[in-house]
Formats: sequence, structure tokens, C-alpha cells
Amino acid sequence: MSGVNWLAVAPLLVLSGGAVLLMLVVSVRRSTEVACVTTTLIMAAALLSCLWARTAIPEIVTPLLLADGYALFFCALFIGCGLVTAIIAREYLLLRAGENEEFFLLLLLSTLGAATLAYANHFASLLLGMELLSVSLYALIGYPDKLLRPLEAAIKYLVLSAAASATFLFGFALLYAAVGVLDYPAMGAALAAADNPVLLAAAALIIAGLGYKLSAVPFHMWTPDVYEGAPAPIAGFLAAVSKGAIFAALLRWWMAAGLYELPGLLTVIGIVAGASMLVGNLLALLQDNIKRVLAYSSIAHMGYLLIVLVACGMVPDPSLAMEAAAYYLVAYTLTNLAAFTLLGLLSRASGTDELDTVADLDGLFWRQPGLSLLFTVALLSLAGIPLTAGFIGKFYLFSAGVAGELWGLLALLVIGSGLGLFYYLRLVYRMTLKAEPQTQPPSTPGWSARLTCYGLVLAMLYFGIVPAPLMEILRTIL
Amino acid sequence: MILSLFYVAASIAVLSTVIALSRTNAAHALIYLIMSLLSVAVIFFIMGAPFAAALEVVIYAGAIMVLFVFVIMMLNLGEAGQAREREWLKPSGWLLPGLFALVLLAELLILQGSMDGATSGIAVEPKAVGLTLFGPYVLAVELASMLLLAGLVGAYHVGRSFLARDRGGPR
Repeated sequence: MSGVNWLAVAPLLVLSGGAVLLMLVVSVRRSTEVACVTTTLIMAAALLSCLWARTAIPEIVTPLLLADGYALFFCALFIGCGLVTAIIAREYLLLRAGENEEFFLLLLLSTLGAATLAYANHFASLLLGMELLSVSLYALIGYPDKLLRPLEAAIKYLVLSAAASATFLFGFALLYAAVGVLDYPAMGAALAAADNPVLLAAAALIIAGLGYKLSAVPFHMWTPDVYEGAPAPIAGFLAAVSKGAIFAALLRWWMAAGLYELPGLLTVIGIVAGASMLVGNLLALLQDNIKRVLAYSSIAHMGYLLIVLVACGMVPDPSLAMEAAAYYLVAYTLTNLAAFTLLGLLSRASGTDELDTVADLDGLFWRQPGLSLLFTVALLSLAGIPLTAGFIGKFYLFSAGVAGELWGLLALLVIGSGLGLFYYLRLVYRMTLKAEPQTQPPSTPGWSARLTCYGLVLAMLYFGIVPAPLMEILRTIL
Repeated sequence: MILSLFYVAASIAVLSTVIALSRTNAAHALIYLIMSLLSVAVIFFIMGAPFAAALEVVIYAGAIMVLFVFVIMMLNLGEAGQAREREWLKPSGWLLPGLFALVLLAELLILQGSMDGATSGIAVEPKAVGLTLFGPYVLAVELASMLLLAGLVGAYHVGRSFLARDRGGPR
């Protein structure tokens, strides 16, 4: 391993070194503020090191990791989300007494897992990244340990996620038994040559495991309960980073191993995508809890994203589909993070412990005009209204679907978006209702949290109005 | 012949895991879990991974499981605990696991003649494992250490309030 190798994985090194540093800081001085500032600085340093690492790519760092533009781009995206979560979590944790420093340590480790997934080029790194992400999230979801709901959510996530990982691992073992390789590039050739009935079982197990992690129908049942119970910043992290990172890793595997050339796999993914879009959107209509609405909508969004995987196999050149997936993934990550973040801040500003039910939103426009407006932008982006990143993302998906002539899936995408419009706008409508007499004076969130929110919403609008620069970047890295 | 050894060990693994899951008595369940881990170790041995087999016995069946058994036994001190322990030591509790262990031992003795990977034909030496782990897979080792750190911190956070309560300290 030479010096150049280390530079190419600089973000991972900064994050792991940062975790150790934070542990030392916490052992010297226990303070939420200090831990939060240290974490923010570490995340910012990791973000900068992504820029620095650009000089060293492309580079294969041991068989496990492939440092290229794709890895660094998604690495930067997930570290950015981690940074936002750290800043927002400060607001959340300062309201709650107790030992809050471990929260930031776990957040760093979880982000490290997501960053590893962006680099993964081998099953070992894929699995380790995924486990690092989920194991840290078990404790983060149940972090407010004196409350019942987070505990329930954490146990549900722990049991089901561990079962999914076991399924996934079993699938890998069978796959390895059939083809004898574990790294993506070699797997493509081996899969094309292999003709082994074991592969069918392996594919079923891996799809079930990944489907669970992406919360695609029919492996979605944990999502609403876990999102509802998790603290708002962590629910946002879970929706944006956890799913985004696993999808990014899946996309790389899909392309590097040429999995889109296997017609059976395309059919299964197509069915899962269609079911996710339909079930996610229909069930979101029935919810009274905002976090559950967002959870079901994230299931539907994963369905939209899976269309791209099918489209890859239907066109001669999958680069447009890849671009669409990457753009949508960026838009999805930003928008979901913003929605959960603003929800967390709104509830703080309204004085309630967590703003949960749709009824809590009544008249929020009159009580909290600024934050409500930003929340509206996030909801509109989720719905895919023009001038937001969500619209360009959906447009991209649509063109990829048209290129692949996937009329059935596109019809479901249109129906799903129509349904989505209804339940997102219902939330906006509730906010405009007549103001109720206020019980508590609203407390404004700190400047750092407000600044972060403005940044997120501006990014959403920027990518919606001027999408060309991001498209250009995506074209160069894919 | 060798293949039938594998099937015997594999059936013991599945059977003892199923029994472990269905026991209502935690101590008995743990004994069956240890048997399941030991049979997995024998399977590793048959496949030609003696080092992995040794690790499985030393770390899982040895250290972790014995720790579990001790903790469970220590939680039942006093008169009632003694009665319960006598209950656990009835032959119905240890006869079947003992039989499983004997079968596994017999398999190991049969395999003594063919040390080099009975089913695969290649035995993986400890040196080869070490060279791989600290050669191409060194980053996996580092990532696994971070994974353990995450598990440790998470476990500390979850268990913290119980520890504080036991010491009578503030929660």
C-alpha cells in the first residue's frame, strides 16, 4: 500500500480517526456542545478531504475498495448528510438531559459505514459497510432510552435488520459457492459463464436482504414503525443516508458486474418496483402520523428508483439510466433529509416533544411562517413539483423509463405521483388552516440549525432550477 | 464416507439449533447452542479450515458461551437457585447434548487420518489466513474493528442506565 493509496481513501481515514479522537475528547470532557462541535469539525474535514482525494483517483485500494469519482461523490453526499444530522441533533439533544456524547460517536461511525458503501467494490466491504451503518443505527434509534417508542423501534430494527443481514450473507455464501469470486468486476464474467441452480436461491436471498434494507415492498413493514419511533434527526438520517448508501452500493454492483444483463433479475426487480410504488403511495394516504406518511412515501421513492435498474437492462447504453439514478438519489437524499430535519425543528419551535400527528400541523403557517415555508418546499420537492430537485429527478427517471420502453412501470410512476401529490398537499393544507390560540411561546432554533435548513432548501431549489452543473458532474463520474 | 460425516455434523447443527430455540429453560438452551457451535466447528474442519474450526471452538463455544452460562447461573444464587440448579443437572438436560458431543468427537477422530481438507482437498493453514487478513484484506480488519467499536458504544449506552441503577448512582 503506497502513499497514493491512502490519499484516495482519505475521507474514510478522517472519519475513523475522527471517531477515535472524539472518544478521547469525550473521555476528557463530557459535554454535548464540545462533542457536537468536534463532530461537526471532523465531518467538515472529511468533506474537504473528498476534494483532496480527487487528485489520487482512480485507484484500486486493496481488492475491497475502488476509489473513483462515483465513490468520492457519494461519499461527499453522505458525509454532508452526516454533518447536517450532527448540527440538527444538537438542537434535539440540548432539550434532553443525559449523556448525549455517544450519539455523536455513533453518528460518525454510521457515516463511516455509509462512506464505505460508496467505495465498496467487493462483498466483504459491502457487508462491513452495511453492518457498520446498521449496528450504529440500532443504538441511535433507541437513543432516548427512557421512552418506550424509540425502544420499540430499535428492537424492531435490530431483529429485522439482523435477520436481513443473515439472509443477505447466506445469499453471498451461495453465490460464492457457485461462481467462486467476491469482487464485482470478476463476478460479471463468472455469472455469465455459470449455470448453477444454486444461483437462483442465492439471488432470492440477496434480493430479500437488499429489499429489506431498501424497504421495498414486500419487505417494507418495519419502515413506518421504526421511523415513527426514532428521534426525528435519526429518522432523517435513516431515510436519506441509510437507504441512499445501500442503493448507491447496489447501483455500483449492478453496473460493475453487469447484472442488468440477467433477464430474470430484471423481472423480479420490476415487480418489486411496481409493488413499492403502489403500496407505498396507497398506504401513505391512510396515515395520520407525519413520520409514517414520510416513511411510506420513502418506500414509494425507492420503488421509483428501482425503475432505473430495470431500465439499465432494456437500453443498449445504460449511461442515461445511471445518470437518472444518481440524480434522483441526490434529490431523494436532500429532500428526505430536509423534510425530517424541518419536522424536528418545527416540533421544537411548537413546544411539543415531537410533532407527530397531522393535526399538530394545524395553523402552523401563522405560528411559524419561516419554518413552515421551508417545510412546504421540501414537501413539494418530494411530490416532484417543478422548480425543485424532486421534479428534475422524476423527469430524469421518466426519460430513462421511456428509453427503456417500460410502459407498465411508468404508468405506476404516474399513478403513484398523483397519489403522492394528494397526501403531500394535504400536509401543506393543514398548515394553512386557521390558527389556534397558542399555548406556549415558540422557541426559535439556534442559528446553526437555521442556517443548515436554509442551505438544504436552497440546494433543493438550486438543483431544481439550474440542474445542468450537477448533471455535468454526474456525467463525468459515471 | 467423508460426505456422510458432513451430513451427520450438519444435522446435529440444525437439530441442536432448533432445540435451543424451543427450550424454555435458558441454561438448557445455551447448552444446545454450544452444541450447535461445536458442530459448525466440525463442519469447518471437514471443509479444510482447521484454523476457523479452532477459532469457532475457542471464541464462540469457549469464551462467549461459557460467559453466558456463568452469568445465567450467577443470577440464580441462594436456596431457590440451588434447587433450580439441581433441576438443571437432571439427565434429561445433558444426555442429548452429551450424545451430540460424543458423535462430534467420533467424527473428529475419524478425520484425524485425513487432515488436509476432507471435502475440498485443500487445508487452509493459519499462516495463510493471517497473510490474507493482513495483506489484501487489511482494510476489512480495520472496518471490523470500527464495527466492534460501534457495537461496544451502543451496548454501553443501552446498558448504562442499568449499571447506574445497580450502583445506586444517578440515572
